[in-house]
Amino acid sequence: MALLEVKDLKMYYRTARGHVRAVDSVSFEIEQGKALGIAGESGCGKTSMASALLRLLPSNGSYHGGSVVMDGKELLTMSEEQFRKDIRWKRISMIFQGAMNALNPVHKVGEQIVEAILHHEDVSREQAVKRTHDLFGLVGINPKRFNEYPHEFSGGMKQRAVIAMALACHPDLIIADEPTTALDVMVQAQILKSIAELRQRLNLSMMLITHDLSVIAQTCDSVVIMYAGKVAEYGDVVDVYTRPAHPYAMGLVNSFPNIQAARTEVRSLPGFPPNLLAPPSGCRFHPRCPLADEECKQVEPAVREVGGNKHMVACHKAEIVQQGGDIWSR
Amino acid sequence: MGFRSYLLKRLFYAVVVLFVILTFNYVLFRIMPGDPEKMILDPNFTPEAKMELRRQYGLDDPPLTQYLNYMKSLLTFDLGMSFSTRRLVWSELRERLPNTIVLFMVTFVGTAALGISLGVSSAANRGKFSEQLVMGAGLFAHAVPSFFIQLLLLLLFGYYWPILPIHGTISAPPPDGAWAQFLDRAWHLILPAGSNIVIGFGSWALYTRNTMLEALGQDYIVTARAKGLPRREILYHHSLRSVLPPIVTLIFMSLPGAVSGAVITESIFSWHGVGRYLLDATLQMDYPAAQGAFYLIALAVIISNLLADIAYGLVDPRIRVGAGAKR
Repeated sequence: MALLEVKDLKMYYRTARGHVRAVDSVSFEIEQGKALGIAGESGCGKTSMASALLRLLPSNGSYHGGSVVMDGKELLTMSEEQFRKDIRWKRISMIFQGAMNALNPVHKVGEQIVEAILHHEDVSREQAVKRTHDLFGLVGINPKRFNEYPHEFSGGMKQRAVIAMALACHPDLIIADEPTTALDVMVQAQILKSIAELRQRLNLSMMLITHDLSVIAQTCDSVVIMYAGKVAEYGDVVDVYTRPAHPYAMGLVNSFPNIQAARTEVRSLPGFPPNLLAPPSGCRFHPRCPLADEECKQVEPAVREVGGNKHMVACHKAEIVQQGGDIWSR
Repeated sequence: MGFRSYLLKRLFYAVVVLFVILTFNYVLFRIMPGDPEKMILDPNFTPEAKMELRRQYGLDDPPLTQYLNYMKSLLTFDLGMSFSTRRLVWSELRERLPNTIVLFMVTFVGTAALGISLGVSSAANRGKFSEQLVMGAGLFAHAVPSFFIQLLLLLLFGYYWPILPIHGTISAPPPDGAWAQFLDRAWHLILPAGSNIVIGFGSWALYTRNTMLEALGQDYIVTARAKGLPRREILYHHSLRSVLPPIVTLIFMSLPGAVSGAVITESIFSWHGVGRYLLDATLQMDYPAAQGAFYLIALAVIISNLLADIAYGLVDPRIRVGAGAKR
């Protein structure tokens, strides 16, 4: 059984001009010890997904159906108090973009971790401090810096501290929301390496949210490609990257230059992400899709399996896409 | 270094400001309309007697000499003798000072406690009726001239519903026993301090609410929520704590206003304090008394500004470093 099972999850934002369908019928699973990547353009609902899983919706967000099941327990109907005590941080924790503002500027970095431990576990303060020192060591921060404030840390160190914080209560699942986005490439590589090592050592499951497909290729087992709040394609990383079945996924994969292949021009996807207040009819990708026909404009494609191994796609033309050939140059 | 050099710098500024204020104070009372001689001299005196008195009070010295004498005596707390009561100004001020400090402290603590806690609860209950009630009432009390509210209270509790004392700091004659006297003083404090709190809490509550709402939208609050901390902890330990620096600054920046407010409050409720003394002295052209009171008030303002800087450095770790080695 999967550790976390998300089924038909719908989370909308209420605005003055109607509902924004930020997460619309999204389904996926995360196996124990595996890593799932969630990729897509800005505004496709990636971060909304993360906040929906931890039930951290902004005041104008609400669930409109679906379920999130962890170890057979439904998380969305659990009482707020129980969810706060038993799930948040204890079972599901989160790695935020630490270089930004994820640490409170007026509290010592170490104390912010101790606080999380003390709230969830029945341990003494000394034990919590000791564990925080160990966590600092684990992520490569000198434990002597326990008493420093966030502004005394560099961007990369803040990110490490945020990772240490996510590990504080030995969670089963870590949601990493753009953990390396604000860092320079060298630090990015170090951080990704430590995340991968820690995952192996602690047998952690992870959900990695990023717009950077290469990061997912490097760290994840499976991938969900989201487009306009919906799952466009979902499957094993190798399957999706080598035989993309959705034109959008193919476009994304093509838009990364391959340093080992012959020099070709990097392709960008034409057009813009749609307005989620009034998404296009039928397939939401059809206005930007080179293969779109009448069917795509009228009928919303169901998520179906292509080529086995749970490689799922929501596209009427998946077979044409998978035949290969450069659909984007037509 | 760090915090210490920051403090020394602030201390230096405080001394400069004190010097400037004292100079202004000297000039101000000498360009005010009216002639102090009329207050102390009998019109029937002979010109010789008048000259003699002017000499005694030093009023015939050139302005610069008067200024130097003035500075010298202020620094030694020799505030001279009141024209009207013929008593030493410093001893008159000394007996009034505790009353002013008590009124001030109670007002200050009460306003800050009520304003900040209502501000926090308003931010937590955004959009609900309780928030609108607090904000509406606070803004109303803040917008209406303070003396108007105080006069209304005076009318209400002095005439229609006379259950609270509206006059003085203690009953005459005072009750026997220290405890009874303490209670009697507290009883007299209710209206002056209470009216000040009513007038002042609104701006506190509004400011706290606004900065809190801003803080509650920050990423680190999402972190705190994700960590599964209880709501109270998030509100006070994470949000309020992070917006405390600007609130503390505002608290101390409001002190000069509180001092001028004290003049009005003390006059309305006949509070035997420094503010009322200043007003009486000014109206009577009593230079030494007014200057003495002014000096004391200026000192109070400067000291409270210094306290603000210290408090700011203590609550915001970034200031401690920023003022020191890194710059």
